[in-house]
Amino acid sequence: MFEARLVNSVTFKKVLDAIKDLLNEASFDCSEAGIQLQAMDNSHVSLVSLALRSDGFDKYRCDRNLTMGMNLASMSKIFRCSSNDDTVTIKAQDDADTVTFMFESKKQEKISDYEMKLMNLDQEHLGIPDTDFSCVIKMPAAEFARIVRDLSQFGESIVISCTKEGVKFSTSGDIGSANVKLAQTSNFEKEEEAVIIEMQEPVTLTFACQYLNSFTKATPLANQVQLSMSDNVPLVVEYQIPDLGHLRYYLAPKIEEDEN
Amino acid sequence: MGILNLSKLLADVAPQAIKETELKNYFGRKVAIDASMCLYQFLIAVRTEGAQLATADGETTSHLLGTFYRTIRLVENGLKPVYIFDGKPPVLKSGELTKRQGKREEAQKALEKATEAGDAAEMDKFNRRLVKVTKQHAQEAKKLLSLMGIPYIDAPCEAEAQCAAMVIYIRVKAGKVFATATEDMDALTFGSNVLLRRLTFSEARKMPVQEIHLDKVLDGLQLTQKEFIDLCILMGCDYTDSIRGIGPKRAIELVQKHKSIEGILQALDKDKYTAPENWEYEAARELFLNPEIADPESFELKWGEPDEEAMVEFLCKEKQFSEDRVRNGCKKLLKAKSGQVQGRLDGFFQVLSTTPAKRKVDEKKNTPNKRGKAGGGGGKGRGRPK
Repeated sequence: MFEARLVNSVTFKKVLDAIKDLLNEASFDCSEAGIQLQAMDNSHVSLVSLALRSDGFDKYRCDRNLTMGMNLASMSKIFRCSSNDDTVTIKAQDDADTVTFMFESKKQEKISDYEMKLMNLDQEHLGIPDTDFSCVIKMPAAEFARIVRDLSQFGESIVISCTKEGVKFSTSGDIGSANVKLAQTSNFEKEEEAVIIEMQEPVTLTFACQYLNSFTKATPLANQVQLSMSDNVPLVVEYQIPDLGHLRYYLAPKIEEDEN
Repeated sequence: MGILNLSKLLADVAPQAIKETELKNYFGRKVAIDASMCLYQFLIAVRTEGAQLATADGETTSHLLGTFYRTIRLVENGLKPVYIFDGKPPVLKSGELTKRQGKREEAQKALEKATEAGDAAEMDKFNRRLVKVTKQHAQEAKKLLSLMGIPYIDAPCEAEAQCAAMVIYIRVKAGKVFATATEDMDALTFGSNVLLRRLTFSEARKMPVQEIHLDKVLDGLQLTQKEFIDLCILMGCDYTDSIRGIGPKRAIELVQKHKSIEGILQALDKDKYTAPENWEYEAARELFLNPEIADPESFELKWGEPDEEAMVEFLCKEKQFSEDRVRNGCKKLLKAKSGQVQGRLDGFFQVLSTTPAKRKVDEKKNTPNKRGKAGGGGGKGRGRPK
C-alpha cells in the first residue's frame, strides 16, 4: 500500500509543470524515504532528477518500494481538475496497475477521485558522480528565467561565463548579439534577491536555449536557483522545493566540433 | 531483400530490441547509409503523377532530387551521413539475382499487357517493379554527394556488410560510425550493432525512425551471433535457399534447441523436411561472418563544405533543377556545418542498471502466480523486479 498526502496540491502541480516539457512519461520510484524521479529526455541531452522527502508530506506511507510509470500529460490533466488549495492524496495498491489521485476541497464539501492507468516503462538508472564544481552561482530564479527568455530571442545557444566579478550570459544570432552581466550582491539584506558566486576557477560553457527555457518552468517552485558549472561537465540547475525536496536539471554543454 | 520476416519475428519475440524515435534525436551521430537501397527508394517514391522526374530529354532525376533533399534533411538535423555504395554482388547471390531478373521479366510482360488494356493503376504498379538502380544513377549520386561535401565509400561487395564493418569499427576506435541505415535487416546479420530503418523516408510520411539494437536482439532471442546467422539462413536470406516448410517460429525453436544448422540437420525428420540439394549454408554463413569489405581504417570520413557554384552547374544546367532551391539547399548545408554540436549526457553518467518494461511475455508467466497467491492466503507476494 502506498499513500501520500499533501495539503497544497498546488506544489505538485508546479512540479508537474516543471518537468512535463522535457519528459512525456516518467517512473516515480516510491520508497520509505520518499518519492524519486530520474529521467533523461528523448534526445539524452538533459536529465531531470526530482526528490520529494517523505517527511515533507502531511501523511506518507509506503509499505513496499514501488515504481509507478506515469504519463505526465495525463497526470497534468488530472491535476488541472483540482483547485490550488485542494488537498491531494496519491494512493496505489502494491502491484497495482493504476494509481488514484483524490482531491479534497478546503472545507471538505467536495471530494473527487481520479484513477489513472500506470505504464510499463523502460528505465535506466544513471549514476551521477559527485563533482566539485568550479563555479556555483546562486541567483533569483525569476531573474534567471528572465535572462534566458530574453536571450533566446537572439540565438539558439547561451554562453554562460563565470568569473570572480560576476556572471555573464551572452548570445549572438542573425540580428546581432546580446550580453547580460550580473555582479555579486554586496549587501545581504534580502537573501532571496542576492546573487552569490562561489568560484574556484573561471568557467565558460555554451548551452542550448531550448533546454534552459524548459528548466525555467520550475521558477514558481523556488525563489532562488543554483547553477553549478565545471569545464566539460553537465550544468546543474537546482531548485529547492521548500520543506519538500529538490528538483535538479542536468544539461550537456555544446562542444566544439572536432574535425577528426 | 534482407532476411525474410525477420522484423516481424523480432517484433513478436524481442520487442525491446526495437525503439522508435524521432530523427532529430540523432544529432551529431555519424550514420552509414546503404546508398543503393536509398537510390532505389528514391526512384520508386519520388514521382509526379506516377512518372519519375526527368529532364526535358527524358533523363531520370528522381534519384538526384531524393539524394539532394533527404541528405539536406539529415544534415539539418545534425546527422553526419556517409553513403556506402554496393560493389559487385557476391557469387552466392547469383541465384537470388536470377530470381529477381525472372520477376522483372514477368513484370515487363504484365506491364505490356496493362498498357495494351490501358489500365493506369496496373501500369503504375508494374512500372515501379521494373525500377532498377543503374551504374549511371550511382555515378550521378556520387557526383552530387561530393559536391555537397558528403563522404561516400565504394564497398568492394555488399554495402550492408561494409556499413556493418564501419559500425563495428566504432568499438575499436571511437568516432567512426554510430549506426547503419538501411531497410535490409541483414545489416544485423552482418554484425551491425545498431540498425536504423526509415531514416531516409520522406518527412511527409511522418514515420518515426526505427532503431534496432543487435545486442538486445540476441538477448531477446537468446542466441549468440553465430546462432543468429544460422537463424537468418533458415529464415531465408539472399545468398542461399532455406529448408522448405520451416517458418520463422519453427526456425527459432530449432536454433535454440540444436544451436547450429548442422545440429538441426541431424535431428530433423528427413521424411518431413528436406534440405535443398547442395545446400550452401556453410558458404552463406562464411559470407555473413567474413564478408568481403574494404578496411574501415583506410577511409577518412570528411564532411566538407558544399560547392555551390558546381552544384548549380550540375543540377540546374545539366539536370534542370530550380536554381533558387539548389542555392537555398546549399545555405542550409552551410548553416548546419558551422558552429558547435550539442553534447549528450550518456558520456558523462554511468548507467547503473536498466529495468526493462515488463512485456506481455512476462505478464503471461505472472498470471498463474497471482492466482496462486490469492489462494495461498495473502502472502507478501513476490517483489517487483527492481
